[in-house]
Amino acid sequence: MTRSSTAKTLGVLAVPCLVAAGLLAWYVTREPASALADSPAAAADPALIQRGEYVARLSDCVACHSVPEGAPFAGGLKMATPLGAIYATNITPDPSTGIGAYSLADFDRAVRHGVAPGGRRLYPAMPYPSYAKLSDDDVRALYAFFNKGVRPVAQANTPGEIPWPLNLRWPIALWNGVFTDAGPYAAKADQDPQWNRGAYLVQGPGHCGSCHTPRGLAFNEKALNEHSEAFVAGALLDGWYAPSLRNDPNTGLGRWSEADIAGFLKTGRNQHAVVYGSMTEAYNNSTQFMSDEDLAAIARYLKSLPGDPKRDGPAWQYQAVSAATRLEAPGAHTYVTLCASCHGLEGRGQAEWMPPLAGATSALAKETASAINITLNGSQRVVTAGVPDAYRMPAFREHLSDREIAEVLSFVRSTWGNHGAAVQAKEVAKLREHTGPASASPIILQMR
Amino acid sequence: MQLRINQTTYEVDAEADTPLLWVIRDDLGMTGTKYGCGLAQCGACSVLVDGNVVRACVTPVAGVVGREITTIEAIETDEVGKRVVAAWVENQVAQCGYCQSGQVMAATALLKHTPKPSDEQIAAAMVNLCRCGTYNAIHTAVHALAAQAPKQEGA
Ligand code: FES
Ligand code: FES
Repeated sequence: MTRSSTAKTLGVLAVPCLVAAGLLAWYVTREPASALADSPAAAADPALIQRGEYVARLSDCVACHSVPEGAPFAGGLKMATPLGAIYATNITPDPSTGIGAYSLADFDRAVRHGVAPGGRRLYPAMPYPSYAKLSDDDVRALYAFFNKGVRPVAQANTPGEIPWPLNLRWPIALWNGVFTDAGPYAAKADQDPQWNRGAYLVQGPGHCGSCHTPRGLAFNEKALNEHSEAFVAGALLDGWYAPSLRNDPNTGLGRWSEADIAGFLKTGRNQHAVVYGSMTEAYNNSTQFMSDEDLAAIARYLKSLPGDPKRDGPAWQYQAVSAATRLEAPGAHTYVTLCASCHGLEGRGQAEWMPPLAGATSALAKETASAINITLNGSQRVVTAGVPDAYRMPAFREHLSDREIAEVLSFVRSTWGNHGAAVQAKEVAKLREHTGPASASPIILQMR
Repeated sequence: MQLRINQTTYEVDAEADTPLLWVIRDDLGMTGTKYGCGLAQCGACSVLVDGNVVRACVTPVAGVVGREITTIEAIETDEVGKRVVAAWVENQVAQCGYCQSGQVMAATALLKHTPKPSDEQIAAAMVNLCRCGTYNAIHTAVHALAAQAPKQEGA
């Protein structure tokens, strides 16, 4: 081949390459169309603002966009990611540091598409793959609340700590293309309105799957709705095992009635369990504020999701035994002296105040993280209607060695019919290093 | 709700989840039962419920309605409790005394169920904390009680 013909060939090849590069550049920085582009700007309609406040409760915006000592929604929460820390942003209506300059369409693009004005992609720490399902009406109400119901606060955002080139945002557009579904929740014609409302709340604003659905290699939720058995099937996240929300008798809600589920989300407790770990925050700031109808709808929908005996194992059956009669077993002495006052020698807890360990998800799941984490670090205060609860799990990290914790948890996980695997001291050591004790003070995030 | 404490029935007005300790001390004024940690870790708040030792700071009051509660104020009306207190005096166990009502409860419950406890059973039952470090005296007193257990209760 001569030099000139090589040049010609390259030139011919360059054209499609340039076109592809141009298309890619357009795709990854474009502002997606908003269904609300032509809607009039938010009016200061008190009913709409109030509706928006409720949608913000459902969506638990405050959990990330507020910090306990900060002004509501001024941002600042540090979130660790495998690539480095990022900080939640100011979403008060301050025009320069917040979202005061956002049009309804800008707001919609951020919330439902994960795209900020100018085409910058948000990190999917913002659960826009779930919020994508929000209805137009709910987005409009949310916008009204954040514009007119939240006090503007001038507080500059903290830059993220992810190093170049990992901090380039445009590849997220490709991730979005593969891992998100477009369009708001579409009601299923073969289901009744209550089920559809529940599906909407769980998949959309409630973004339950953000914690409870296992993630794939690209940190994508493996499913965004009930079409896949992976949806809310339980996942390991941030040192906790978020259990299955499907009808699995061991690791899920198989033994819970719809009333048990709704009651748990309303009061933070029932005869099976008390909220702990990250769920305490979801309860304190979000689920307790949901209406009874919405909680009933969530319960109805979750109870329609089948369990998987292959994943979940043989269903737990209670076997009565007093820990005091098994003192020779490793860990039993620790259980009797430190755990039994609340959880009982028979492992049955005390009504809905102190949770049973017999049949507890943390004692049946193959993931040991939640059992270890709660023992090391204790629980945060469960705050219902502004009142902190009387009882909480103390932190034992200063009190017990890795081996003692491994032994007592192995005892719990193999007694009363529990069949979780034994806990190894090195698993405790690892979590001890990466976690800290839960705060003993009640933490309440205000929205106004 | 009604509570049976030391063979007396009390009418109390409390939320279901109120810790029994608050009711005993604050509502009923029986301050022999102490508050130490509020987290089931020290045992200062120990009382008997149907003869079993429980930590009143982590006992929701609704759970003990209809059951027989005994506090330190009435422990000497119990035959075993009376012997425990006598042994405590005999061995001069108390130093500041703050933890001792709980210690006496723990020892009484142990000996009621197991008149001749093994060392292991004693170690599992006598786990209340004592800031003054009276553990040796407690140990001596409980072992003395175990040794003098009356024949008819024999283990
Ligand atoms: S006050 Fe109840 S155990 Fe410490
Ligand atoms: S005698 Fe003082 S705390 Fe035990």
